[in-house]
This record gives sequence, structure tokens and C-alpha cells, in this order.
Amino acid sequence: MNIHLDGSNAIHSPREKVYSLLTDPNFISKSLPDSEDVRVIDGSSLEARMKLRIAVVSTTMRMKLRVERTAPPSKATLVAEGAGSGSTLKITSVFDLSGDSQTTMAWSADAEVGGVMAGIGSSLLKGFAAKKVAEIFSGITKAVEASS
Amino acid sequence: MVKGMGARPHRLGVEPLFQSSVDEVSRLVGLKKEELIILEDADRAASELLVSEFEKYVERKYNPEIMGVLKRNNLLGVPIMEEYGGRGARQLVEALFLERMGQTGMGVITFSDVHQCLGSLAVQDWGNEEQKARYLPAAAKGDTIFAYGLTEPEAGSDPASLKTSYVKDGGGYRLNGSKYLISNGSIATRMIIFARPQEGPGTPTAFILDTKDKGFSVDMRLEEKIGLFTSDTSMVSLDDAFVQSEDMLGQEGKGLAVAYSALLNGRIGIGSGCVGVMEDCLNQVKERATTRVQHGKEIARHQLIQRHVAYIESSLEACRWLIYRAALKKDEYEKDLKNLALRSESDRLSAVAKYTASRCAFGSADRAVQCFGGFGYSILSPVAKHFLDARVARIYEGTDEIMELKIASSVLGREFEAYR
Repeated sequence: MNIHLDGSNAIHSPREKVYSLLTDPNFISKSLPDSEDVRVIDGSSLEARMKLRIAVVSTTMRMKLRVERTAPPSKATLVAEGAGSGSTLKITSVFDLSGDSQTTMAWSADAEVGGVMAGIGSSLLKGFAAKKVAEIFSGITKAVEASS
Repeated sequence: MVKGMGARPHRLGVEPLFQSSVDEVSRLVGLKKEELIILEDADRAASELLVSEFEKYVERKYNPEIMGVLKRNNLLGVPIMEEYGGRGARQLVEALFLERMGQTGMGVITFSDVHQCLGSLAVQDWGNEEQKARYLPAAAKGDTIFAYGLTEPEAGSDPASLKTSYVKDGGGYRLNGSKYLISNGSIATRMIIFARPQEGPGTPTAFILDTKDKGFSVDMRLEEKIGLFTSDTSMVSLDDAFVQSEDMLGQEGKGLAVAYSALLNGRIGIGSGCVGVMEDCLNQVKERATTRVQHGKEIARHQLIQRHVAYIESSLEACRWLIYRAALKKDEYEKDLKNLALRSESDRLSAVAKYTASRCAFGSADRAVQCFGGFGYSILSPVAKHFLDARVARIYEGTDEIMELKIASSVLGREFEAYR
């Protein structure tokens, strides 16, 4: 089952700084919500156990994350892939930064969901994902601004 | 058509079945721009409620967000006349609105139907000018929320046997008794109460009760239901609850006429919600069946799954037009209120529509659970909610059996009414 989300966020920080942080596994490791056992593997990848919650039901997935610096300092891709509790998840997020002293981060996320989680249906999953993504980007925005 | 309406997203990425029904109704009977805007607002509200409805359902809790989302989208007074602050929707548009909300589940429908069809419309149809001016603008804004207090522990399908009583006391009336299985019972600010005279053989009278009155209390919130968790259901007590004389609704002794006319509105509302349930069942089954692979192919390619799909689609299409026909007849009657033949026909069609749609919604939800296989039996599946919730539509606002008697006597003649 495939889900697509997109949107944009304004970040009060220079684009190069934002790009540098967004593609830094050490920074990402500190910005991931509901994560534990976070481990930076190398300059472009990390892994973590991430808790996913849908209503009162929560599950934990072992996720591997890989950053691809597609076109610095504008475009980057973050691929997160994992499995757990009878479900599989792969999210490919593309960031497109614009602006100079203030940055606009346009993003899109395509998720492939399989197994038990897919049974919930795309409409509900998209609703939950939208809430989660808003939470993640709010966290990233705050963390980037705090680091600037 | 409102600009851009055809291209707007529906139900967050599933097939826009609802849009096709709006387009078809618009083509056949015409929908005005203001009416299409109401449906756009309904679409947005349904999308906004999707996640909270599911979360609260899984937690088996009342969903307090329903009221806020409907208020924010100006959907609490859809059928209330514009001069009283509502949106003045005719029954057909109210049906389309509730059809859309039904895709999120019967919890939303129950709240909306009771507040609007049973509460607000009872005041609009039976209230005097002062009552309409006092209550309807507040109901449209959400400052007043209605409940409908007809059912009692020992009076369900036979409301004429209700025991709640009233007695004259100074400038008003004192009410005593219990009301059971009252939707919106613990969240309502006003409740339409039906009571009979404490002394003598008189027939019931309707009152508009302020639930802040010290004689009103919520005995318990009924949370041990098999479904409909996101809707508030309560048992309430009246212990010398006081109602001002000016809050008698309709004439003294004519309460059952108020009750039955409200139920006529309500049944079309419940049936409309059931159509929405079928639409969502079809959407969910289509997605599941075309992505779930068993025996080397999508289960949608298995003929026995296709049989379920055909059942749901046929039920949906048949019920949708029954509801629209009942709604159109009600609109016709609204323009000619003294025409008793029209009222009778409207009553018959609303019973046929509610009876058929509620049974088909439950049947469709059952088939949808079957298509989902083992996961369909999990409360996390999107169709299990409909399976548990839709069952109530065959009971409340007229059981299957009462609808059957009503439909049969409409064919056979009043002299054959089985409950006379």
C-alpha cells in the first residue's frame, strides 16, 4: 500500500546551515521522535528502534535510515526502511530547500506499507501519518533553529 | 458546480464515490451553489474527523471532537432555516450531508441526527416564534446541543406507554421519571422530553428541558454498548425537574405527534448515514481486495470476493436512491404541510428507506469484514467499526420490526395496523 504526503515548512535559519544539519546523521539521530537505541553507522546512515502508535496500539520497528545528498545545498533524500510486528515500512522523503537567510523546506514523502499495518487502510494511515509528519517536521524545525 | 469541486480530494485518497453521487443528484434535480458549499464543508469535516473517530473508537470512548469539528465547519444547523441562523438545507441536502458524514461512522451520524433532525427540527416544526428565536440560532452555533428524551426503560417501540409524568406547578411544570438510551444525553444542554400528565389518562406532551435544572441528572453514561462508542449514550433522571410554561413544545397532549414527526426526519437521517457506511465499506474493500495477494493473485480476482463487492455496490446504489426519493418526498411535503396524503407517503418512504438502508449497511459491513479476512475481525480494521456501529441502525429510531409493520400497514390500510 502506497501513501503520499507533501508540504512545506519555513525555517528561520540560512539554507546552507539547514541543509548541513538535515543531512547529518548525528543531527537526525537527536531529532527522531519516539526512538531508542539510535546508532549512527557512518556519515550517511544510522539505525534506530522507532515506536509507531496508532490509537492505543503501538508497535516498534527496527529502522535503517540513509541520507542521499542529491544536490547540495538544495535537494536531499532520506530513505527509512524497516520491519517489525508483522509489518514493513519504507519511507522515501525528498527535501527541496530554497531561500537564503530564511529557508523554505518543501518536502514530499512516499511510504510503502506492508503486512498488518497495511490492513488499516490508506485513508486512516494517511491521517495518522499526516499527524506524525507534522510532529516530526515541527521537531526538526525547532532543532535546526536552536542549532543556528 | 462550485469551482474546483470535482478535483478536490475525497476521504484522503480513496475513490470519490461521494462526489459521483453529488454530481448525479446535481445533474438530475439541481443543487444550488450554497448547497454544494454545505457539501464541501461536510467533506472537509469528515476528513478532519477521520483520525479522532478511529482513535476514540479503539479506546471505546465518546469523541468530543465531533462537536468542535462540526461547529468549526458551520455544520451544526444544516437544516435550520436561514432566518434562525442555520443553513436552510432542504431534506435532500441534509441527506447528502449525512451521507458524507456516515463515511466516518455512525457515531458522527448519531450526534448529528439527534441534535439536528430530532432536536432542532422538532423545535422548528412545532415551536412558536419565541421558542424558535430562542433555541434555533443557539443550536446552529453549537451553544445549544439537543438530545431527544423519548425512550424509557419500559417504553421503547411503544412510546405511548411512557411513564415519565408532569404536573403543573406555578409558572411551569414539574417532570419526574427516567429516560434510557438517550443519545447526547450527558452532553446536551436542552432535551426534548416527552411526559404524560401525573393525574388522569392524558396523552403525552413535549417539553424543552434545560439540562442545567437541578432536577435533571445523568444516572450513567452507557458505555457497555457493543459499538457506537464515539457517541454519547446515557440514562437520565428527572426528579421534579422544572420546565417553564413557555417551554412546552406544541400543544398539550400532542407530544406523540411531535415525537413521530421528529422521527420521520430522523429516519431519513439515519438511512443517509447508512448509505455513507456502505460507501466506506466499498472503498475499503476495493482497496483491500486489490492489494491483498493470496494464492498468487489479488483477492479481488477471486470470484467469491467479487460476490461480496457486488452485494455492497448493489446495496449502496439501491439505498442511495431510496433515501433521495424519501428526502425529495419530504421536501414536497414541507411545501404543502396540510396535505395529509403527502405526509403519509413521506412517512412510508422514510420507513422503507431507513429499513432497507440500515439492513444493507449492516450486511455490507458484514461482507466487508469477510473480505478483510482475519484482520477484519480486529478492531483496528476500518470495517470492524462499521460492523459494530451499523447494527444499532436496525434498532434505534424505529426497529426493523416497527418499520415492517409501518410499511405493511401503508400498503394494506390503517385498519390492518398490527399494533392497534
